Amino acid sequence: MKRTAFIPTLVLATALAALAACGSDDGDDSADGKTVITWWHNSNNDPGKSYYEQVAKAFESDHPGVDIKIEAMQHEDMLTKLDAAFQSGDTPDVYMERGGGELADHVEAGLTKDLSESSADVISELGGSVAGWQTDGKTYALPFSVGVVGFWYNKDLLAQAGVTAMPTTWDEMDQVVGQLKAAGIEPISVGAGDKWPAAHYWYYFAVRECSHDVLTDAVTSLDFTDECFVRAGEDLEDFVGQDPFNKGFLSTEAQTGPTSASGLLVTGKVAMELQGHWEPGVMQGLTEDKVGLGDKLGWFPFPAVDGGEGDPAAALGGGDAWAVSEGAPDEAVDFVNYLLSDEVQQGFAEKDMGLPTNPAAIGSVSDPALAALLEVRDSAPYVQLYFDTAFGQSVGGAMNDEIALLFAGEASPQDIVDATQEAADAEK
Amino acid sequence: MTVSTDRAAGAAAPSAPAAHPGRRRRSGAPGGALRTALEVLFFVGPALALFLVFVVWPIIRAAQFSLYRWKGFGPLTDFVGLDNYSTVLHNEVFTDAFTHNLFIVVGSVLLQMPLGLAIALLLNRRIRGQGLLRTIVFVPYVLAEVIASVVWLQLLQPEYGVIDSLLSSVGIAGPEQGWLGTPDYALWTVLVVLTWKYLGLAVLLFLAGLQGIPTDVVEAAQIDGASWWQVQRWITIPLLGPTLRVWAFLSMIGSLQLFDMVWVLTGGGPANSTTSMATFLVTEGTKRHNYGIAAAASVILFVVALVFALLYQLLVLRRDTHDRTRLARAGGGA
Amino acid sequence: MSRPLIDPDRDLGVPAPGDLRPRKRPRPSAAQGGGSPLVYVGALVVVALTLGPVLYAVLGGFRTNAQIAESPAGLPDPWVLDNYRRVLTGGTFWRYALNSAAVAVITTALVVVLGLMAAYPLARYRFRGRETLYVAFLVGLLFPATVAIIPLFILVTRDLQMGNTWWGVALPQAAFALPITVVILRPFLMAIPDELEEAALMDGASRVGFFFRVVVPLSGPGTVTVGVLAFVASWNAYLLPLLLLQGDMKTLPLGVADYSSQYSSDAAGVFAFTTVAMIPALVFFLAMQQRIVGGLQGAVKG
Repeated sequence: MKRTAFIPTLVLATALAALAACGSDDGDDSADGKTVITWWHNSNNDPGKSYYEQVAKAFESDHPGVDIKIEAMQHEDMLTKLDAAFQSGDTPDVYMERGGGELADHVEAGLTKDLSESSADVISELGGSVAGWQTDGKTYALPFSVGVVGFWYNKDLLAQAGVTAMPTTWDEMDQVVGQLKAAGIEPISVGAGDKWPAAHYWYYFAVRECSHDVLTDAVTSLDFTDECFVRAGEDLEDFVGQDPFNKGFLSTEAQTGPTSASGLLVTGKVAMELQGHWEPGVMQGLTEDKVGLGDKLGWFPFPAVDGGEGDPAAALGGGDAWAVSEGAPDEAVDFVNYLLSDEVQQGFAEKDMGLPTNPAAIGSVSDPALAALLEVRDSAPYVQLYFDTAFGQSVGGAMNDEIALLFAGEASPQDIVDATQEAADAEK
Repeated sequence: MTVSTDRAAGAAAPSAPAAHPGRRRRSGAPGGALRTALEVLFFVGPALALFLVFVVWPIIRAAQFSLYRWKGFGPLTDFVGLDNYSTVLHNEVFTDAFTHNLFIVVGSVLLQMPLGLAIALLLNRRIRGQGLLRTIVFVPYVLAEVIASVVWLQLLQPEYGVIDSLLSSVGIAGPEQGWLGTPDYALWTVLVVLTWKYLGLAVLLFLAGLQGIPTDVVEAAQIDGASWWQVQRWITIPLLGPTLRVWAFLSMIGSLQLFDMVWVLTGGGPANSTTSMATFLVTEGTKRHNYGIAAAASVILFVVALVFALLYQLLVLRRDTHDRTRLARAGGGA
Repeated sequence: MSRPLIDPDRDLGVPAPGDLRPRKRPRPSAAQGGGSPLVYVGALVVVALTLGPVLYAVLGGFRTNAQIAESPAGLPDPWVLDNYRRVLTGGTFWRYALNSAAVAVITTALVVVLGLMAAYPLARYRFRGRETLYVAFLVGLLFPATVAIIPLFILVTRDLQMGNTWWGVALPQAAFALPITVVILRPFLMAIPDELEEAALMDGASRVGFFFRVVVPLSGPGTVTVGVLAFVASWNAYLLPLLLLQGDMKTLPLGVADYSSQYSSDAAGVFAFTTVAMIPALVFFLAMQQRIVGGLQGAVKG
C-alpha cells in the first residue's frame, strides 16, 4: 500500500503540467504576406458600422499590402474584451482610449504607442482637445469625438412653466427649478443609481469653483487640499437641498430604459437632465420612432457660480480617441492619422456618429442642439476631462461613491474630499 | 463545516448494511501497485485536474494578488504586503457591506426559522393536498435568484407597483423613493425578498426532520394528555434541533455570499445601503481594476466564512454529535 | 447562494443501490393532528404569499401596460397574447435559452462523469493518500466560487482565452460542483456489496471493467441526484456568467436582468419574458422533484 503513495503527487503534477500548457498563443500577423491591422470599435450599428467598413476599404486600396480586420462590438463587450486583451498583452492594433488615468496606466505598462512625432501634424490640427490623452507632454491617442456635459432640456415643458431665458447663473437656475415645480413639472432627472451622472454635478461645480491651475495640478499631484473642492460640494449640497430631482433618483439608472434618467427626459416626465453629448443618441434609442425629443430638445451650458475661481466658460467633457498598441505595425499609425483626416471626420459628422474634433469637419454637424454644444466646446478655454476618467477608475470610483452619498444626504462636502484624497493616496 | 475525516471514512447510507467500514475489501486487487496507481490516476485524474485548475489555483492566485497592487495587466511587481488588507478593512464601503451581510445572516435566521417552523408544522398535519402544498412552497427556491429579483423589482415599483397600490388601497403610502430607493428600507426589502425565495428550503428541510421524529414518543405524550401545542413545544421542536442547526448553518453561509439578488435589485445602492462583501469585491475588481484590493476582500470573505463555520461547529453543531449518539443508543436513529 | 453542503455522516435520503424496495412515503404521523378549517386557512395564506408573485408575473404577461397601470392588482381583461408572442418570436429568448441549456448540459455532463469516476477509487480502492485526497475535495466545499471569482475571471479570459464561451463558464462551474458530487457519490459506491465485485473479478473482469459494467448502471439514482443539482445550479447561475459572457453568448438569467433594465417600463413585456424564462426551471423541477428534494434533504437531514 505504501507503494501507491505517489498517486496524489502524480495527479497533482499532471494537473499542473496541464495548467502550464494553457498559455495564450500569439499569432496575429500576416497570413498571406499582407500586413494585418486589427481594429476594434464600438459602432456596431448602421450607419456607423458600414461607414467604418467603407473607411477601411478606402485605406486598403491606398495601401496595397494592408489588410484591416475590423471587429465592431457593443460598447460594454468591447470594454470587457479590451480589459482581457490588456491583461494578456494581446491587444488589437487600433483601439479606443478614453484618456486620463486609464490611459496613463496603459502607458506605464508599455501597452500604448507614443504618437507625438508620427502624428505631429494631426495633433497640431486638433489643438486643445488632445490634452486629455497626453501624459508627460507626449500624446498617446488621437481624439476623434469630444463632447461636453451640459443641460439637455425639453423646450415645451420649460415654456409651459414660463421659462423664457435659459439660466446662466445658479441663482437663475434655482428660479427655473422653482417655476417648474410651481407648474407641477418634475424639474431634473439624474441617474444617481449609476453614480457617475450624479458625480458630473460635483465635477462641474469643481470646474467652476477651482482655477485651471488647481485642477491641472490635482491630476498630476493627486492633491485635493484646495478649499475650492469643499466649496464645490457645498454648492451641490445647496442644490440637492432644493429637491430638484425626479422621484426615486437615488435608484434611477442613467440611460437604460424609459424609467432611467434619459428615459424620463425623452418621455416628457422631467424638464431637464445634466448629461454628456451622447444624450440625443441615447434618447433616440429609447423611443419607438428613433426620433427622441426631436425639435423639442434644447441644450444650455452649466451655469456660472458666483465667486468661483474657475473660468465660467470652461467645460467638463471627454470623448474617445484612437490609440495604437505598442507592437502594432507602422501602417496602423498611418491608418489612425487617416481616421482623423478631414474627409473621414466629415463623413463621421454627417452621419451623426459623434462630435468631430477636426475643425474642418465641424461645419458638417447638422443637429442644432449638438451645434450649440460644439460652439461651447470650441469656445471653452479648456475642456476638463471627466474626473473619474482623469483620475482613473480607482480614485474616480471612490469619488463617485461619496458624491452619490451626498445626493442621499449621507455625506458632507468634506467627506467627498476626504474619500477622494484617501483613494488618491493609495495610488501614490 | 460539519465534516471530519474519521467520520467521513465510515459514511454510508444506513439503509445499506453492506457498507460497514470494518468489512472493506482487501487489497487483493488484480495487478500490482503500479496498476492500482494507474487506475486511480485514470479515475481521479480528470476530476482532480479540473478541481486544481479551477478551484485550487484561483484561490492560490487570490491570496497572491492580495499582496500586490495590480491593475490587471503587466506582471505582478508592485508588492505591497498587507496594505490591501488594511485598505479594505478601513474602507467604509466594505465595513458597511460586512455589516449588511451580518444583518442578512441574522435576519434570515430570525425570520425564516419561526416562519419555516410554523409552515412545516402546519404541513405536517394530516391535511388534504399535502404533497401539492409542499411542491408549491418550494417553487420560489427553484427559481433563479435573478428571476425572483426581477419579478419583485416590478412588484416593488414605486407608486405603480402592485405592492404600493395594494398598500395605498388600505391607506398606507409607500415611501416616495420606493422601497428599494430609500436607504433606510432597501436592506429590509432585500431581506424580505430573500426570505420569500429561501423559506421553501427551510420548510422542506424542517418537514424532513419532522417526519424523522419517532411517532411513539409523540403518541405517548398524547396519551398522557398533552395538547398539540405542548407536543410541539416540548417534543417536536427540541427533537428537530439538529435539523434547525444544520439549516441555520447553510443559511448563514449563503447569506455571507449574498450577491445575485443585491446586484439585480439595487446594485448595492441606494447610497451603498445594500452592498455586500461580494458586490464590493466584484465592483473593486471588474469595475475599478483594483485587483489587489478585490483579492484581499475575497480572502477576508473566505476567512469570515471559515471563522463562522468553525465557531458554529464548535459552539452549536458539536452538541448534535452527542445528541445523536445518545439517540442512537436509545434506538431512535436518524 | 446556498450551495447545499453535505455532512457525510448523515443519511443521504436516497435509496442505496442495493435497496430495490420502493421507497416508502413517510406517512404523516397520526399524532400531528388533522386539518381543522384554521389549518386550511393558514395553508391558503402560505400558498397565496408563495405563489402570488409568480402568478402575478404570469398573469401580468397576459395584460397590457395600460391595464397594469390602471389597476395594478387586476386580472387580465381582455387577455392579451401579444407579450408572450413577442418574447417567443423575438429570437433573443431562444438564443439565451440555448446558451443556458448548453452551459448546463456541459456542466452536468462534466460533473456526473468526472465525479463518478473520482468517487469510485475513493470509495472502493485502498491506497495511501486516499483519505487525504478525499479531504482535499471536502475542503473544496468550503470555497464558494465568489471567493475565487476575480482570479477565475482572469484565468478564463486571459490564460485560457475562453472568455465568452460555453466551456469557459461550464468548466469552473463543474469544478466547483465536484466536491459535493464526490461527497454524495462516495457512500453510494461504498454501499455496493463487495460480493458483486468479487463475483465480477472472478469472472475475469478488471476493476476498470467492474466500474463500467456494474458501478455505472447501479449508481443511477445517485448520479441523477448530483446531475439534477448541478443542472439547476448552472441554469440559475448569475455571477460567473455575468463576468464571462457578453452579447449573444448570454444565458437566461443575464438576459432576464438585461431585459428588465432595458424595458423597465414595459412591465407586461418584462413579466412575459420572465415567465417564459421561469418555465424550463419549473418544468424541470416538477419532473425531477423527488430527486431535488431527496438530494437537498439528504444534504442536511439531521
